[in-house]
Amino acid sequence: VTSALEATFREEWPRAVAILTRVLGDLSLAEDAVQDAFTKALERWPRDGVPRSPAAWILATARNGAIDRLRRDRTFARKAELLARLQEVPDGEDVDVNAIPDERLALLFTCCHPALAVEARIALTLREVGGLATPEIARAFLVPERTLAQRLVRAKRRVRETGIPFRVPPDHLLPERLPDVLRVLYLVFNEGYAATAGDTLVRRDLCAEAIRLAKLLCVLMPDEPEAFGLLALLLLQDSRREARIGADGELVLLADQDRSLWDRTAIEEGRRVLRRAESLRRPGPYQLQAAIAAGHAEGTDPRVIAGVYAALERLDPSPVVTLNRAVAVALAGDVPAGLALLEGIEGLDGYSYLHSARADLLRRLGRSEEAAASYREALARTDNAPERRFLERRLRELGVDGA
Amino acid sequence: MQYALLVYSDQSSWEGLDPDEAARQRADSMPRWLAAFDEIARADPDYAARELEAASEAKVVRVVDGERVVTDGPFAETKEQIGGFFLARLTDLDEAIRLAALVPASEYGSLEIRPIVER
Repeated sequence: VTSALEATFREEWPRAVAILTRVLGDLSLAEDAVQDAFTKALERWPRDGVPRSPAAWILATARNGAIDRLRRDRTFARKAELLARLQEVPDGEDVDVNAIPDERLALLFTCCHPALAVEARIALTLREVGGLATPEIARAFLVPERTLAQRLVRAKRRVRETGIPFRVPPDHLLPERLPDVLRVLYLVFNEGYAATAGDTLVRRDLCAEAIRLAKLLCVLMPDEPEAFGLLALLLLQDSRREARIGADGELVLLADQDRSLWDRTAIEEGRRVLRRAESLRRPGPYQLQAAIAAGHAEGTDPRVIAGVYAALERLDPSPVVTLNRAVAVALAGDVPAGLALLEGIEGLDGYSYLHSARADLLRRLGRSEEAAASYREALARTDNAPERRFLERRLRELGVDGA
Repeated sequence: MQYALLVYSDQSSWEGLDPDEAARQRADSMPRWLAAFDEIARADPDYAARELEAASEAKVVRVVDGERVVTDGPFAETKEQIGGFFLARLTDLDEAIRLAALVPASEYGSLEIRPIVER
């Protein structure tokens, strides 16, 4: 029963929250009603057995709970109107929930609206679309539960008070809004992947959650190549998870990774998804990044990969992309050209990777003193334990005085 | 929902202009102002819009220890001052953002969107 409940929860939470948000016009009211329904399920299913259609049961119970709640409330201004609208939600236990319009995409766009702060978008997306409980999200982001609960309350209030729409943006706004959604999913993944600190298992769950949400997005937007591009990128990056950290907890660079630790199934799936994205013939930054990740997995000529980075830089210029391109150029054999690109980057001084990449290129050019100085700069900018161990070892290996 | 769109701009840039030049610039931007008004009217026929006299004409009133204190000039010495506002009932924040961007002042100044509290 517990596993049935868990499976239902992850699947049906966003569906029910989204349908009721559409009906009630209020995310908080909808969430409360769905929360109550799952609490009832937790009491009743173990006793009475799992209903024939868990999804229909949850929706009906949430709907009826919302009706009861509204009836008890004496102050609600639009009570009659909302009650009438709730009556229209089908509540039979055999209702086919798939026949009810799927509002999950609207929910996702609402949670990722640019009028919300980025941390609020992430928390709200994980809560409402991911169905993660507040303590789970707090643990994953290493913030106190109370802080995260407040963040969610404030975000929901903001949605209500500023009139953030509950809808999929119209076509003319979509090119502007879709990247916000993709970015939130990418940030969720990255929080789990880059592991600045914290419990490995929780981190892995976060990556899995980001992949699950990206898959949902692909189902909901089957003609959107960047959604598939993002999913491919996440799958391909995730495929290298086991190889990224060595036995002694040290970060292992791509070139030094034990390829037998790469997850072939994830790579295959990532490549398949990428082909699907490319078949839509509208390239975008996530597709190019996925192509690069696929290139690494396939052992593609480093010069080709450097070329894809150049294309990415043209499409979506940023100092981080230039940094990656510089590393790719060096990897493709032209270390001085890579270094020259790195020297031209502005505005990334606080980023440890800039300094460690520079250190690595200087080391390869035999400029040990300068390399050592750059490793120290990098060390001064990161608290990530595996990364620090890696940098400290490289610094020792240089054998420069004072290392 | 009801929104206030507050129009901010640097009014000092007008002060240095000779009256003819100021009039010409106003006339130049007028069609776009009118287009913005039309579009806002389409969204809410009952909208309100007001232009305010220059911030230099403002009086600031405070009661300090029971004593009335009146000072001249704007409340804050910032470059951009509020020069007018729209009040309109709109479907959502996206619509408010779209309409705000149509107001010419969003190019040389800025529009602040403030939802009206409804209780």
